[in-house]
Amino acid sequence: MTTFLLNHDEARLRIYKKTSMNKIKILFFATIKDKAGTKSIDLDIPNEMTIKQLKEKLAAEYPNLKESMKAVLMTINREYAFDEAVIPLNAEIALFPPVSGG
Amino acid sequence: MNFPTIYSITETEIDLNDLLAKITLSSTGAAAIFTGMVRGVTSRDTPHETIYLEYESYIPMAEAKMKQVADEIRQKWSSIEGIAIVQRIGRLYPKTPTVLIACTAAHRDTGVFEAARYGIDRLKEIVPIWKKEVGPKGEEWVEGDYFPKANE
Repeated sequence: MTTFLLNHDEARLRIYKKTSMNKIKILFFATIKDKAGTKSIDLDIPNEMTIKQLKEKLAAEYPNLKESMKAVLMTINREYAFDEAVIPLNAEIALFPPVSGG
Repeated sequence: MNFPTIYSITETEIDLNDLLAKITLSSTGAAAIFTGMVRGVTSRDTPHETIYLEYESYIPMAEAKMKQVADEIRQKWSSIEGIAIVQRIGRLYPKTPTVLIACTAAHRDTGVFEAARYGIDRLKEIVPIWKKEVGPKGEEWVEGDYFPKANE
């Protein structure tokens, strides 16, 4: 019985992950902000979307950003993130060019 | 021993004396201070004039990365006592200090110069701050060329 319940829950979780959406916040800075025309957007993305997939989605939905996607830095919850990274629930994502502080 | 570490993004004037006092301990005998300012006239590379720079930052991440830079300094130079890393943002005119990295130690021959140098180099690599340069011919974002690797 316990085993059955566990399997059932796992199956439900799998379905949930496939069908539910992940609400994320995306922040833009510097050149990327200018091109996007906004500081930030809220976006619903499918669960288990990767950084690479998000880049492709943004390039498709924001033609102005397409060129910038080639050399953009991306972060997940304030840490640098790379193409294969899976975006966690309710993540704060940021996109920006190589930094130029000092 | 509790060594002071100061890291912040600020919109107000950088107070060198105040920061230096905060990272000076009774055991401190040396401080290396690097500060950068807005250069009005550039003759190297592409000569040009600057009216002002407009800085922006992803503040919470920038402060976390400044803390990381300070941690890296302490790992490399165990002699370092106090560390201050401060970046001013907003519209800044020529001759205005924009950034300050200060490291203190008991003596000057303990890596304190190298530590401050490392701090400013690292800030320019991984701390999310950008500047837009406004000159007589228009404005342009300055972009760095460093791509952080995993776990940076």
